[in-house]
Amino acid sequence: MRATDNQGSFLNRISIRRNQVVSMDGNHEQDLEDLELFQKYVADRFSDLLSSSSDEAADSLLSVSWLRKLVDVFLCCEAEFKAVLIMGRDPSQVSKPPLDRLVPEFLDRVVKALDVCNAVSHGVESVRHYQKLAEIAVSAFEQRPIGDGQVRRAKKALNSLMLTLEEKEGSNHKSAERAWSFGRRGATNKDRAAPGQFRSLSWNMAKGWSAAKQIQAMSANLVAPRGAESSGLASPVYIMSTVTLFVMWALVAAIPCQERNGLSTHFPVPRQLGWAHSMFALQEKIAEEWKKKKEKTRLAGLLEETQRLERLGQSLIELADSFQFPAEAERLEEMASQVAELADTCKKMEEGLVPLQQQIREVFHRLVRSRTEVLDVLDQVGKVSAPSM
Amino acid sequence: MGDFRSVLPLCEGEQHVIAATQHLVKALRASKNLDDDLRKILSQLESHLSGMTILSPESRGTGFREFEQQFKWAEEKIRGWESNQSLMWDSDPLEASEYLKAVVEIQTLVEGLQRLSMSGSRKQKELLNQADSILQTAMSRLEEELVHILVKHKQYFDLGNMSFQYYGKDVVYDESFVSVEDMRIEEASQRNNSGNESVDCVPDLVHPQVIPHLKSIATVMFASNYHQEFCQAFVSVRRDALEEYLVILKVEKFSIENVLKMEWDSLNFEIRKWIRALNVIIQYLASEKRLCDQVFGDLGFLNPFCFVEISKVSLLHLLNFGEAIAMGTHKPEKLFRLLDMYEVVADNLLYIDTLFSEEAGTCVRIEFHKLLRRLADSARATLLTFGNAIAANASTSPVPRGKIHPLTRYVMNYIKTLPIYCSILNVLLKDQNAASSNPVVELENELEVSSMAYCPMACHLRSITSILEPKLDSNSKLYKDCALQHIFLMNNYHYMVEKAKSSELKLFFGDEWIREHIVKFKQHATSYERATWSSALSLLGGGRAGSNSTSKTILKEKCRGFIIAFEEVYKNQTGWSIPDPRLREDLQISTSQKVVLAYSYFIGRNSADIGEKYIKYTTDDLEKYILDLFEGSPKSLQRSRSRRN
Repeated sequence: MRATDNQGSFLNRISIRRNQVVSMDGNHEQDLEDLELFQKYVADRFSDLLSSSSDEAADSLLSVSWLRKLVDVFLCCEAEFKAVLIMGRDPSQVSKPPLDRLVPEFLDRVVKALDVCNAVSHGVESVRHYQKLAEIAVSAFEQRPIGDGQVRRAKKALNSLMLTLEEKEGSNHKSAERAWSFGRRGATNKDRAAPGQFRSLSWNMAKGWSAAKQIQAMSANLVAPRGAESSGLASPVYIMSTVTLFVMWALVAAIPCQERNGLSTHFPVPRQLGWAHSMFALQEKIAEEWKKKKEKTRLAGLLEETQRLERLGQSLIELADSFQFPAEAERLEEMASQVAELADTCKKMEEGLVPLQQQIREVFHRLVRSRTEVLDVLDQVGKVSAPSM
Repeated sequence: MGDFRSVLPLCEGEQHVIAATQHLVKALRASKNLDDDLRKILSQLESHLSGMTILSPESRGTGFREFEQQFKWAEEKIRGWESNQSLMWDSDPLEASEYLKAVVEIQTLVEGLQRLSMSGSRKQKELLNQADSILQTAMSRLEEELVHILVKHKQYFDLGNMSFQYYGKDVVYDESFVSVEDMRIEEASQRNNSGNESVDCVPDLVHPQVIPHLKSIATVMFASNYHQEFCQAFVSVRRDALEEYLVILKVEKFSIENVLKMEWDSLNFEIRKWIRALNVIIQYLASEKRLCDQVFGDLGFLNPFCFVEISKVSLLHLLNFGEAIAMGTHKPEKLFRLLDMYEVVADNLLYIDTLFSEEAGTCVRIEFHKLLRRLADSARATLLTFGNAIAANASTSPVPRGKIHPLTRYVMNYIKTLPIYCSILNVLLKDQNAASSNPVVELENELEVSSMAYCPMACHLRSITSILEPKLDSNSKLYKDCALQHIFLMNNYHYMVEKAKSSELKLFFGDEWIREHIVKFKQHATSYERATWSSALSLLGGGRAGSNSTSKTILKEKCRGFIIAFEEVYKNQTGWSIPDPRLREDLQISTSQKVVLAYSYFIGRNSADIGEKYIKYTTDDLEKYILDLFEGSPKSLQRSRSRRN
């Protein structure tokens, strides 16, 4: 499903209807209807996601293609949300309590989400590096006849891959640089992995920036509206905040990001509310995955393809270790099937990672634009209190 | 081995042809006048030919043994370096080229053997395995050498001519009311030397001497199908070099959240660094691109990918800072920096489009175009905010002594810095107008476009002053004294006219505007005179009333009344201020002309009737006292009167 589909969208309906409404007071009944439609929309999109995540073959949970769907869902929900919040609405409604507090809080979350987008998009760059190393192994293993040289070549690439997967932020880099500029060669074993070759990619966000803290901060003051508020505009703001939080959280869990230590596995998804059922189920599933991984191996992220590279890489290294020329047919077969799976994974990454990166950038731009639009609305209301000199 | 025949059925004649061709190719390759394409084709041909000869039945006997010997030689060469700790190209480039020759031998052998691997003898398979293994050793070694050469011979271009010290922390601008006046000149000089002197010279990022080494490593690694390793190593070293360069340029990493919260002073400082960094980095990338072209040359399609991989991360970083700035609040003082940023992106845009013209670079290109639009929007919004802020300004107390209102000063000095951005502003404002105006108006604009006074920026400047003027009028109402209201307005309009007449603004405000506003401040001068002097002067007027005692008393009263009125004016208006000396002088002279003339006429006609005792001041006295008016330091004539009495 593409972001542009807008299937089941009521965006147009809202805009047409609003244009017909002369009264600027805002119509409570109409708001209620909008809210219901929006809730249903969100519920449907996430239930799609949930059902496709259980589908083993195509877009399994946290695979590249699933993440792309997730980001698409976000873009669709965001468009609907904006329609509900500002399209054709009297700006003064947005500045009344409790929205005068909730909207700025929401915008604050948006800014945090922007930084998360950048960190994640940077993380995708690291994942592409994993992919490239795996591809070297694939092309080495695929050579026929396979000899010691190509096996060593593949092993070198895979060892690099394993080291990179476990590599902590900022570690190793300086020493690697020193080794390069030293002018002497290090160990004589040149087939060993060169972990530090990827220094720049960890220099990504501002010093001290932490994805975990960012997610934490986004959920900090997120409280479901109660009583009369729950039927007003406070609800869509709350829903969209939760959607944003969930999507950012899932991305951070899947893709390597600066400082994920202490990333919460739970934040308040209100399972009792209809629109959040599927989201809650997804959260449970992802949290389960997160807990399964050990601290050490979590660094590379939960991305399905990354995990696959890790598993195949490990097993192929073992196979390579016991490789002897000339290879036995049985062993070759075993190797070939794993290599085929590795090649398939690489292919999926090759097809999906760059588009995912572009989609995340689209999210970034969309959030920037929406923020500007909301600020403009607030500005119209607050003209009187324009900054004085 | 009969099976060879079926695979590669070569007859004896063909063998000779192949041998002859090999000689020819070898001779040709030795020639120096070959272009890279041809050289590549020849080397491929050579490897094919040698593959054919290895496998020919003829060579099976003596040939194969000869080949094994050759393999031994190459293997020794490669293994020999394994125990050697020093780096090849460092120690002996000649040795290095020998090494490469050995690698090519192995490569050729591997290719040849692979082609018949399925049917080859055990011995051949064994040899292939050995050759493959030694090839891997060599490739690993070459990768290492590549990284080493790239790191060791890395060069950065000199930043000396880019006025680095200008951006030192000590030069932090305070663009408040006061200092904005001096800013423009420095701005202008900065803008001049940050121009695009750049593009003509493309400095080297790696010492030119090692380019052939890099190229030969690339050729060999690509030929052996190790292009992935080559690109990985090359890209990561070059990417790190670029990141390092950003550190040299002191570009720091900020989250968007941080940028939005930053104080203006530090933000201003970071923006300046960013502008400079972007200029420098784009030049740097031109060099990077050339390096890629030199190294990858004819090795094909990977070149643009590698170039984008090298530059993407750093550029995204710069782009994000730009986005963050464009997202921030639209404080008026930010306008200049926004315009600077807009300018640097606009200036480099064409260049960026060229650097990233390949499909792989599309995302980079699009991002810069987006950023440019965003900066334009933000600059327009800031201009709008500036106007709104003027309109929202609410003074509750009058400016002491009727002097220039800080708002007038601020607005006019702010405006005065805009003409250096004229062409950008015209683009920005024209876009804006185009969006909202109808075609007829646009046609009208077209016709008048020749005149500077009608360019979009000029119209905008005047629209800003037209927001200011009613503000001044309402501010003047804060004075209780009507005469002071006029002094205030005269001062402020005069200030505006003076600024508008400056060389920077003159053409944009145009003669008509200037004339209109001169009339305005002159009117206020006239009104001032009327408000202050008409009642006092009316005492001195009136016809001659005969010389009886009643009229004498009246004359004395009139004289006394005038003197009291004059002293009152003196007491008040010496405290008022007309900061501009010429304007002050003009008003003093014109006041003098009216007051002193009337007084001297009155005295001249009536001195006999009034009696000298009552004529307290001579005309010279008055003339002198009038020169004390509007000096901004309150004085009084009371004391001198009491002394005289």
